[in-house]
Amino acid sequence: MNYQGLQDLELLELVGEKDREALAELYDRYGRRVFALAARMLNDSVSSEEVTQDVFMSVWRRGGTYASNKGKFTTWLFSIAHNRTIDELRKRKRDRSRQNDDIDDYLNIESGDMSPADAAVAQSEYAKVREAMEDLPTEQKQVIELSYFKGLTQTEIAEKTDQPLGTVKTRMRLALKKLRNSLSTEMGAQV
Amino acid sequence: MTGSREENQAFENIAGYVLNSLDSDAEREEVEELISTDSVAQREHREMNETAGLLALGVKPLAPPARLRTSILDQTRFDGVESTAESSVSPITRFVQSGFAGSAVAAVLVIVVAGTLGVQNSRLNNEVGQLRTELNSELQAVSALREELESSKTDSMAMVNQMESEMKKMESDFGSTLAQVSHQEQMVSELSVANNALVEALRDQSWLTYVAMKEGYQIESWLANQQAPSDASGLIAVRVVGNEAVFQVHGLEQPLPGHAYTLWLIGNGAPNPVAQFTVSEIGSATVSFLLPAPLYLYSSAAVTQEPIGKVDHDPSGITVLSAQTN
Repeated sequence: MNYQGLQDLELLELVGEKDREALAELYDRYGRRVFALAARMLNDSVSSEEVTQDVFMSVWRRGGTYASNKGKFTTWLFSIAHNRTIDELRKRKRDRSRQNDDIDDYLNIESGDMSPADAAVAQSEYAKVREAMEDLPTEQKQVIELSYFKGLTQTEIAEKTDQPLGTVKTRMRLALKKLRNSLSTEMGAQV
Repeated sequence: MTGSREENQAFENIAGYVLNSLDSDAEREEVEELISTDSVAQREHREMNETAGLLALGVKPLAPPARLRTSILDQTRFDGVESTAESSVSPITRFVQSGFAGSAVAAVLVIVVAGTLGVQNSRLNNEVGQLRTELNSELQAVSALREELESSKTDSMAMVNQMESEMKKMESDFGSTLAQVSHQEQMVSELSVANNALVEALRDQSWLTYVAMKEGYQIESWLANQQAPSDASGLIAVRVVGNEAVFQVHGLEQPLPGHAYTLWLIGNGAPNPVAQFTVSEIGSATVSFLLPAPLYLYSSAAVTQEPIGKVDHDPSGITVLSAQTN
């Protein structure tokens, strides 16, 4: 079977039937994304590997139960990855044994062994999302950075930015709406 | 969406829900309850969830280690066995009959070995941690000891420097004292010599007076240095009866090595040595001699330095004392 020619949802259906090659293809398509997100948030290669492994094992176990009418596969996949990484971050906060202050090292790492075409697509998506982020007002961008990438709760963000909790909630909501508007224009059907 | 929905706390929390930044499970449950019952909230959630998903694309892709792909696929092999648990065959029977039995046994062995290794690794980690803690304690103790030693060394060096300084001062004082003592000893020695000379001079004077008065001597000649400033002087006393005479002298220098003083009596131009003598530390001497002829036959007397035992007919040395005898 030519797995590379199948759509994400077709591969996910095969994963539901315990087709390991289908999972391998999904990993080849999105493993770098998941690993990069975890590395961006954790700044720790070993923990990022663990998170990536957990995410794809979740896909392996829950792939058969995925309901496509609830959203895109990538939204579901990245949501799993984000939640798992947040869990790791908050576990660290409890342990207070690790730091997550410096993320620049991972941001500067190149995309490795991606094909030129994949790299071009990735670079385009990256540039669009970053541009949309840069277009946000500073305070809205800040709450997105602190919540999505740093794993802070709304109350923690309010304390850190010295703003009322209600203001943080409002900025968070407005930021997501503005991002949606920007990215729907830029990325069209993806959103 | 209405104004009342905007004010709804759960609706406000949809953004926090999709960003996983709500503070409590209760808030999450409220949002999930709202989403499950409210279509507007459902749409809000879907849109925000998709947007949040796109944020992951805002991170540059990063290739994980190649081993991770193999590890995930290996894990699915064993995970897949567990996922067929819905079968009507009992798990044990299915396990024994399945082609995965060997692999499963191997997996169990791997897990056991891994578990053992994990326990050992954990123990080793604990031991390493304990050793590291002990090492840190030792290092702190060594550091403290080193500081104490440095402090003691500094104090000791200060004390040594102070002692050296004091010793030098004492040596200097002692040197001064020694010099003073030496100077005083020299003065005492000189005073002693002077005192002895005085005592000797007084004794000679007393003896001469005694001789002159008791033995019938009379002073016949007074010799003095005629050529250079000197305190040397002498006299010749002659017994009234007979030819015995005494020559007494003071203030002569010590003669040259191998030389002695010689007393000459000169008559009709012919010198006649009558006595050779040495002097004391202060240059004194008293010499008894026999006159070869009555003293009036000699016109003068003189004292010269001559080689010991080699007195010739004529004086060879410088005349240090001389006098007319009549």
